[in-house]
Amino acid sequence: MASVSTPARRAAAGSRRAGFRRAAATDRLRSGGAGWLFATPFLVFFTLFLIVPIGIGLWMSFTNASLTGHGDSTLVGLDNYTEAFGDSQVWQTLGNTVWFTVLTTVPLVLVALAMALLVYTGMPGQWLWRLAFFASHLLPVAVVYQIWSMLFQPDRGMLNGLLKIFGIDGIGWLTDEKYAMWSIALVTLWWTVGFNFLLYLAALQAIPDHLYEAAALDGAGAWRRLWSVTLPQLRRTTGLIAVLQVMASLKVFDQIYLLTKGGPNGATRPILEYIYDTGFTNYRLGYASAVSYVFFGLIIILSIAQLKIFSRRED
Amino acid sequence: MSGLSRRGLLRGAVYGAGAAVSASALSGCGSIAGSVRSADEIEYWTLFTGPDGELMKTMTRNVEKRVPGLKVRTTVLDWGPPYYTKLAMASAGGRSPDVAIMHLTRLAGYAPGGLLDPWDLDLLAEFGLKQEDLNKTLVKRSLYQGDPYAIPLDTHPFVVFFDRDVMDKAGLLTGDGRLVPFESPKHALELLDKLRKDGGKLGPVFGHANDAAMGWRMFWTLFSQTGATFDLTGKRAEIDEDTAVEVVRFMADLTRDSRTMDVQTAIAAFANGRSPMIFSGEWDMATYKSTLKDKLGGSPIPTFYDRPAGASDSHALVLPHQDNPDPERRRRAHRFVAELVKSGLTWATAGHIPAYTPAVSSPQYAKLRPQSEYAGAAKQLVLDPPVWFAGSGSDFQTRMCQALDPALGGSSSARSAVRTMVSQINTLLAQPNPA
Repeated sequence: MASVSTPARRAAAGSRRAGFRRAAATDRLRSGGAGWLFATPFLVFFTLFLIVPIGIGLWMSFTNASLTGHGDSTLVGLDNYTEAFGDSQVWQTLGNTVWFTVLTTVPLVLVALAMALLVYTGMPGQWLWRLAFFASHLLPVAVVYQIWSMLFQPDRGMLNGLLKIFGIDGIGWLTDEKYAMWSIALVTLWWTVGFNFLLYLAALQAIPDHLYEAAALDGAGAWRRLWSVTLPQLRRTTGLIAVLQVMASLKVFDQIYLLTKGGPNGATRPILEYIYDTGFTNYRLGYASAVSYVFFGLIIILSIAQLKIFSRRED
Repeated sequence: MSGLSRRGLLRGAVYGAGAAVSASALSGCGSIAGSVRSADEIEYWTLFTGPDGELMKTMTRNVEKRVPGLKVRTTVLDWGPPYYTKLAMASAGGRSPDVAIMHLTRLAGYAPGGLLDPWDLDLLAEFGLKQEDLNKTLVKRSLYQGDPYAIPLDTHPFVVFFDRDVMDKAGLLTGDGRLVPFESPKHALELLDKLRKDGGKLGPVFGHANDAAMGWRMFWTLFSQTGATFDLTGKRAEIDEDTAVEVVRFMADLTRDSRTMDVQTAIAAFANGRSPMIFSGEWDMATYKSTLKDKLGGSPIPTFYDRPAGASDSHALVLPHQDNPDPERRRRAHRFVAELVKSGLTWATAGHIPAYTPAVSSPQYAKLRPQSEYAGAAKQLVLDPPVWFAGSGSDFQTRMCQALDPALGGSSSARSAVRTMVSQINTLLAQPNPA
């Protein structure tokens, strides 16, 4: 068939083969190269502003680095970690942080669920409730601080004003060690519950109607449907919200720093504020890094444990 | 002070890491850093905002007018811990401003670490500013190993303001309008009770709740008046705890009308006439003056114990460390500071007591009221103990205030407050000086 293979045909075949090769290369590019290209800006920033600082921070935790630039080359081994485990301030602020997490996580899950159920189960004017429940979440922390520091004000504040109407003496919402953390938890609940509410609402809307229809056909009343259909269907969302909430609460800083600066008498000082004060007010970067790594480790352990617990339930 | 967000903190951590790592790499780059700056402007960092900030702007502009060729670029940063963090990092990174404002009490955390450069007194004298014209207590405190590391601009003490009319009626003013002297804490409490009864109003007020400095200022004032031991030079604090407990008890008695008052509430109570007397920083003078007008009287903190003393600090000018400073810029920085300090009289209109003594003893200053009435506070000033962790905007002051607050609020005892204070101080003493 050599006669058939004219130069023109050969050229055509060649160009077809080249075309296939080009197409294959494009495919490869599409599946890999182009992806990397588009991801590059993110990866550069991710590396530069997350991976590298994490690495530097870890390295610093083994040195006596100071913010003033002195002593940053001296390795001190595990000294910082030893000091951290023996430091009563670390334990006290860690205790405060965990206490805040306990105080906030439970209501932030339950109240959000209750709010979502109220809205979903046919309250009239749904858009208004959705807006009202979510609106506080849109406020910046500085505004939240302004509002609540006025409400909590012992002499002219609205809360003590209300108590006075009922003949109850005013209390030091933010100035009494007994109440300060509860007050902060209340502010946090008010401020952030909207986000969890939204997650629950989305999850509720995703529950297929036929489950309710089937339950109704089986004669299940409203409470039975709630217990046996709605809540089990929300289990995955509850797990997610609980994990996210524990992590967010452990990282509390802003509202406490603004409302009480950790007072009274250190009763609300979270561990992040201690890390901030150690590193940035007292300039001990090395030690502050070590404490933050201890805390980092704790968050990771807690998160993994929580995920395990909830995934086991899924099984 | 505005709050710091978590994001801001993270950003700070990244910068902090960068600064710590690059400090040594940058140490030879002073000339590069210098070259990107404008050649004829000197860079000046301040922490003055509000009316103080406006006044400083005016003073700087006036200096520029007086001195041909001198141009100053001012950067205003929010006062408090973030200011000192930035200043330390700029100095450590070798890209510091030419001149900066710093509280004199923070010197102990900066000068020993090489974060500041010393002033050239001969050069300052050439521009008309002599050391002997400055407040002696402040000058003494501005030395480190014999070299001057700060030039004080003012002192801003903790003082007393009062409503002249009400106090006069209660018999608490002398013939020449001064506060009657108190013979003892007990005597003071009796007289102030009489003031409460006669005036039908609150006694003296004091805004300390949830504040990072006021409680400590009051404690340090009164404790210093006793002359008791408060020694932080060793590994552990040596503090006369019984005296401290007595002082905290007296503080609680003295300000029993303001157990839960924060600074803003106390200012409002005094400015609105609910209370005729307030323990306050002189920096709030303008607020009181605007409502009380000529009725406003002022005084150094009265001597309740054995000797006159009042907690204070000083806005001082420093040369943040530069590795290879340009001599010409340094010269201009000296010129600027000499002119600024000599403008003390203008600065005094904000309420601060100028460190420049010729300004304080001038006839124009005597006309400033109530400034001239409390100017005596400059002779009895006590600054924070000279340790690296103390001073304005420090973690130390916050911890002391937080320890005191439950006792002042009545929810815990004076003894437990003092115990907490001592244990907090010992914790800080046990930490190595990072500078």
